[in-house]
Amino acid sequence: MAQNSNAPGDTPDLSVQLGPLRLRNPVMVASGTFGYGEEYEDFLDLERLGAIVVKGISLRPRPGNPPPRIVETAAGMINAIGLENVGVDVFLKSKLPHLQRLQVPVVVNIFGNTLEEYAQLAAKLDGVPGIAALEINISCPNVKEGGMVFGTDPLMAARVVQVVRRATALPLITKLTPNVTRIGDIARATVDAGSDMLSCINTVAAMAVDIFSRRPKLANVMGGLSGPAIKPIALRCTLEVLREVHCPVIGIGGIATPTDALEFLVLGARAVQVGTANFVNPSVTTEIIEGMERFLRVEKIARLEDCIGTLDTQCLFPFAEIACELTDLP
Amino acid sequence: MKIMEDVSVVSQEKVAFQTHLLRLSAGRISREARLGQFLMVQVRDGTDPLLRRPFSFHRIDAEQGVVEILYRVVGRGTWWLSQCDSGARLRIIGPLGNGFQLPQCGPAPVVAVAGGIGIAPMMQLLEKLAQWLAPSGKTREIHLFYGARTAEEFIPGKAFDTLGITVHWSTDDGSRGHEGFVTRLLEDTMRREKIKPCVVYSCGPLAMQYHVARWALENGVPSQLSLESLMACGLGACLGCALPAVNPAAPQEEHYLHVCKDGPVFKAEMIQWHKIQTHPATPPIFLFS
Repeated sequence: MAQNSNAPGDTPDLSVQLGPLRLRNPVMVASGTFGYGEEYEDFLDLERLGAIVVKGISLRPRPGNPPPRIVETAAGMINAIGLENVGVDVFLKSKLPHLQRLQVPVVVNIFGNTLEEYAQLAAKLDGVPGIAALEINISCPNVKEGGMVFGTDPLMAARVVQVVRRATALPLITKLTPNVTRIGDIARATVDAGSDMLSCINTVAAMAVDIFSRRPKLANVMGGLSGPAIKPIALRCTLEVLREVHCPVIGIGGIATPTDALEFLVLGARAVQVGTANFVNPSVTTEIIEGMERFLRVEKIARLEDCIGTLDTQCLFPFAEIACELTDLP
Repeated sequence: MKIMEDVSVVSQEKVAFQTHLLRLSAGRISREARLGQFLMVQVRDGTDPLLRRPFSFHRIDAEQGVVEILYRVVGRGTWWLSQCDSGARLRIIGPLGNGFQLPQCGPAPVVAVAGGIGIAPMMQLLEKLAQWLAPSGKTREIHLFYGARTAEEFIPGKAFDTLGITVHWSTDDGSRGHEGFVTRLLEDTMRREKIKPCVVYSCGPLAMQYHVARWALENGVPSQLSLESLMACGLGACLGCALPAVNPAAPQEEHYLHVCKDGPVFKAEMIQWHKIQTHPATPPIFLFS
């Protein structure tokens, strides 16, 4: 990391370049954990966020899955919400205008049952003022049609990105699922198909059992695990993706503290999304931003950009050389 | 306005079987809260348990800047909460949800149904109704139907005596009052005494609420049911606390309301009761294993 003798009073520069977007800081909120922003306005200044990713939008409204939809697990939760959302028309008419008035980049997460729906959705959002980028959801584990079906096969994933790419000039982020054997293959396929950026990971497929009723704890039987429990999986996936492609990557998965967020940046992610932690502490993103600032001050680093991708996998055993000399081994 | 407040525990006492009364010094939230609303409590730091727990306000005292919650220990979250001593710090979010409305008609008779820990949001409401009806001398026309599995689960009865309301007790095992379900006692009493209430308030397990709702709908009694669900955020973001609901515009279509922002207080006719899933209570011996 580049050292810099900045004076104690200087405010460290948290801004990052994420593809074509300049963010005031790398802390975004993950789709489905922040509603359409308004739900959190009593708890934080939305304009302090790096960007807001809204709840996934589909062409038509979706009612979502029957309850129970969530269950708490060790250091995490499993959800099977089923992409309940108001539909793109209501979103444009009654949710987006409020966000448009704010000085914060808005990323719209989109989801379709068919390739055609993805394309129509992207076309509808193309050219709408106040939308900074689209995040293509090909990784929701909780819906039968579409969702993860698109995200687990490199060819299908590429086709979704292709049709969206043709329908809009907006920057595209593809959100990847961890529920695959080689996440790097999906990353490569979607970037080749025209995705400008990637975000990873979506939730980890999971389930929970009630021994007294002998029933699954979720009506949908299976759901997606999120929260601190999945952070190590998310870090590993992010590294695999970074080793495969050279586009900007947004790290997601179990981020609840400034340390968690910085771990992804050190790996090489250019931004992060905070998800489940918003449920526990609605102003956690503000605390993460302030914590990053403290870290830069303590480490005497002027620009957060200088931390990105500084992971050192070569020097894992700093004493190895000395030890070899001592024992006179080759 | 929703507030996140760091509060301290004024006192905690055990008032019945596995039932605790927690007093919190919460100046800001106490000034904003209304009866029937709820709060989310982070029972301890760290990631276990991860999520906050929702509790209805048992008592709101804006003058003293104190709120009370009355809760039963039913799992790890409530067990950790029961370990908090006076002076402990907790982070709470509230007030959340819509709350109870005073009766539109009336002024009496009024019926309240409480199942087990469902008494929690009812006490201060009953006090308010009693005050309201005192000038007309109709306090006895407030009927509380209070049911529990066994007598030792009831909170102390002194509170009811001073109110001057009519309390109908029931227990599953017959250890106090009517033996059987409280909803059966409600139906029988109302039919026998030919009472036509102007409103029914209710809080308890969903299985009980189903029977209260059916009775209210059959008899044309306006209802205010405080319903429960697992929830992650309490703010309308996670959409985890969905209940199957009737969409007035399209009754055939699948539709959900959310306990945290559309409730927790619902009218019986808003819910598709036949689609509600209920889980049997976890036997206490297994709570912590």
